[in-house]
Amino acid sequence: MRTILFNTLLCFLGMYAQGQELYVYTEPASNMAAKSIGFRLTNSLMQQVSNKEQYNFHSVPELMIGISKKSMLHGQVFLSNRNTKLITEGGALYYKYRFFSVDEVNKHFRMAAYTRLSYNTSDVHQPAIDLFGHNSGVETGVIATQLIKKVALSASLAHMYAADNGKGNKFIYANNNRNAVGYTLSVGKLMLPKTYTSYNQTNMNLMVEMLGQTNWETGSSFLDLAPSVQLILFSKVRIDVGYRFPMINDLKRTADRGFLLRLEYNIFNAF
Amino acid sequence: MKKLFFIIAVLMAANGQAQITKVSLQASGLTCSMCSNAINKSLKSLDNVEKVMSNISTSTFEISFKNNAAVNFDELKKKVEDAGFFVSKLTADVFFNNVKLLKDEHLPFAGMNLHFLNGKEQTLNGVQQIQVLDKGYVSSKIYKKNSSLTPMDCYKTGVAAACCASSGMIAGSRMYHVTLL
Repeated sequence: MRTILFNTLLCFLGMYAQGQELYVYTEPASNMAAKSIGFRLTNSLMQQVSNKEQYNFHSVPELMIGISKKSMLHGQVFLSNRNTKLITEGGALYYKYRFFSVDEVNKHFRMAAYTRLSYNTSDVHQPAIDLFGHNSGVETGVIATQLIKKVALSASLAHMYAADNGKGNKFIYANNNRNAVGYTLSVGKLMLPKTYTSYNQTNMNLMVEMLGQTNWETGSSFLDLAPSVQLILFSKVRIDVGYRFPMINDLKRTADRGFLLRLEYNIFNAF
Repeated sequence: MKKLFFIIAVLMAANGQAQITKVSLQASGLTCSMCSNAINKSLKSLDNVEKVMSNISTSTFEISFKNNAAVNFDELKKKVEDAGFFVSKLTADVFFNNVKLLKDEHLPFAGMNLHFLNGKEQTLNGVQQIQVLDKGYVSSKIYKKNSSLTPMDCYKTGVAAACCASSGMIAGSRMYHVTLL
């Protein structure tokens, strides 16, 4: 059944050949290696809806730790210039646990559960909930990822709860708007190299992701499309460049489209 | 060097021993070079490993060991799993010296216990290749298929059970089920 579903999806997406699952806007069900440490710097430049000349800059330095083969932990710090100059607005802890895995040569199907605990001190300025740099709150979800040769397909479903932000910045919308459902669908494909010869070859992945959210109470939604390109250098450095924009846009955001640039460096057997 | 080898061989001949010279393993669940590198680095972190030669496109790793270092298959498997993947095939090149092979016999071997699931009754000499057939060393399909090769309980658990008592194995000790290639 799974195979039929997957093949149908692949046909639907027009990708018969082979992709990868180190997604730019979402996390796959797979974890980083046990005892490895990764450093990430995610920068985004989002265009304001009210003033198209104005871009908000968010920067998120992140430390990632592979605790065991099944679990990993990220610590994130949120920096933004949305209100004034670039200041630290908060941080988050993200924990992921892989609870299911069926692997074959060049293939796998995996499932994981995750939770994110966020703290933010900025003013609450939009009804859409964003625990990656805007709201304080909790997000809990499940992820399923299928990898077949060079294509990886992944989907996630999550519940988000927005608490009041710190420094007296309350959640200014009605209390019943604090809950939302988040859902994503991601496809990645390995484009280069055509054949592997060494760890020093540059890998290039192309990704297309759909990122959605529906407010539990109001039913308002947004659904973004986010294409991206990824380079992996020396099998340990990652460079991601992406752009997201809304296709469905009922659930209001103050900045709803823009660029992402991420740098990541991984150290294996770090401890 | 040849002399040293000869001396080792003579020493081992005394009680029909064996030495693992090389292990080749294939990992499952990956296609990307960063994933392969994670396994490569993980295997290299073992003290007894001298060198790992990897082939990214076939997900295979050829591991050579430091002189006379004891090799433990479970340790290698754990390193692959720590990197987030699984072992789908593991073969070892073994230098045998006057080792008697009997089907379903248990053989103390290079610090490990082996249970040969197939092979004619014979005396092994020189370098031979064996494949580990235990759970987690082959795909689950092949593991199930191989269960017809032996009626013995130790295949299911990977540890010596009542079935192994005749060979003098202590119940509960690790038993690798292998086949001669």
